[in-house]
Amino acid sequence: MTRTECTMNRDELFAWWLGELDSATEERLDAHVFACADCAVRLTALLALGDAIRRETLSGSFGFVVPAAFVGRLHAAGLRLREYTLEPGGSVNCTIGPGDDFVVSHLHAPLAGVPRLDVILDDPTLGRFRLDDVPFDPQAGALTVVPSAQFLRSLGVTQQRMRLIAVTDAQERVLGEYTFNHTPSS
Amino acid sequence: MVSFGVETDDDATLARRIAAGGSTPDTATESELCRRLAPRIRLYGLKHLRSEAAARDLMQDVLVLLLEQLRSGALRDPSQVASFALGSARQLVLDRRRGERRRARILEAFPIDLLPGADPAPEPLDTTRLQYCLAALPERERSVLVMTFYDDRPADQVAVELGLTAGNVRVIRHRGLERLRTCMHSAEGTA
Repeated sequence: MTRTECTMNRDELFAWWLGELDSATEERLDAHVFACADCAVRLTALLALGDAIRRETLSGSFGFVVPAAFVGRLHAAGLRLREYTLEPGGSVNCTIGPGDDFVVSHLHAPLAGVPRLDVILDDPTLGRFRLDDVPFDPQAGALTVVPSAQFLRSLGVTQQRMRLIAVTDAQERVLGEYTFNHTPSS
Repeated sequence: MVSFGVETDDDATLARRIAAGGSTPDTATESELCRRLAPRIRLYGLKHLRSEAAARDLMQDVLVLLLEQLRSGALRDPSQVASFALGSARQLVLDRRRGERRRARILEAFPIDLLPGADPAPEPLDTTRLQYCLAALPERERSVLVMTFYDDRPADQVAVELGLTAGNVRVIRHRGLERLRTCMHSAEGTA
């Protein structure tokens, strides 16, 4: 009994799963996945990890930066979003309600031509956090930030400041500062 | 270059044994063949039908068809069992898309309890560790993984929304998954 070693990597399997391949390659991988028990096991494990990431995303256990279009999909899926839109220098009284799935902040800023964008968050009790090289669309004119809902629910009355920093090789430049006056939901 | 190495020997051995038994069912061998093939058929069904229920239906249908063909001797070369299963799955997916209801008719002829009841579930993930590992990812990688896995979005669509190229998204996705796996495994090693 002989067995040829399977050399297909996870990226190829995942590309097959997501439908990223041309039709001829997809048909070849259809046949391979049917014949290769090892690949089925590896792909099943990858999909289980993906399911877990999806669950954690929806549970609000961690924060993320996404395009506004993604927030639109959360909304379309029936999730309850509390959204705040701020201009540079702006402030807002904010909270997270018991029925809210996510709090979304749209931070307007002149992003055109910015090569790299960092976010600095200052909290009077927790200190300073810096998010390096966040993904953004320079044409969008705003950065969409979704903080961890679980973290927001743990906060008391507090004031947080967020700054968007344009980073180049030579310097850093503040694009906008935004103030969040947070109160817990009553 | 991709090498499409295959693992058919064990499948084929089981298939030959079933075929040799003719109309006398070798339940243990049939169950073993079903256990081996079921996860692959399910994955194919999930990919093409995007529904767990539909994928499980497809899995049952293909396995029943396969056993039927092996028992009757209609599958002339049992070593081609994986190819036959793939061909059947393709046809059944097409049938389902056309709204045909082949399943009820086929299932009447075979006992359902022959089929595997549940897929072999992967090891449960350590949720607390996963939360830590996700939070520790670089922002770009976390964003791409969230956007990818939330609704199984391919790289080109994620790229359009992020203002990146599809190739760039694939690189970020690859790095993120590798970093996540390393982080999760390092927890296992220290547990």
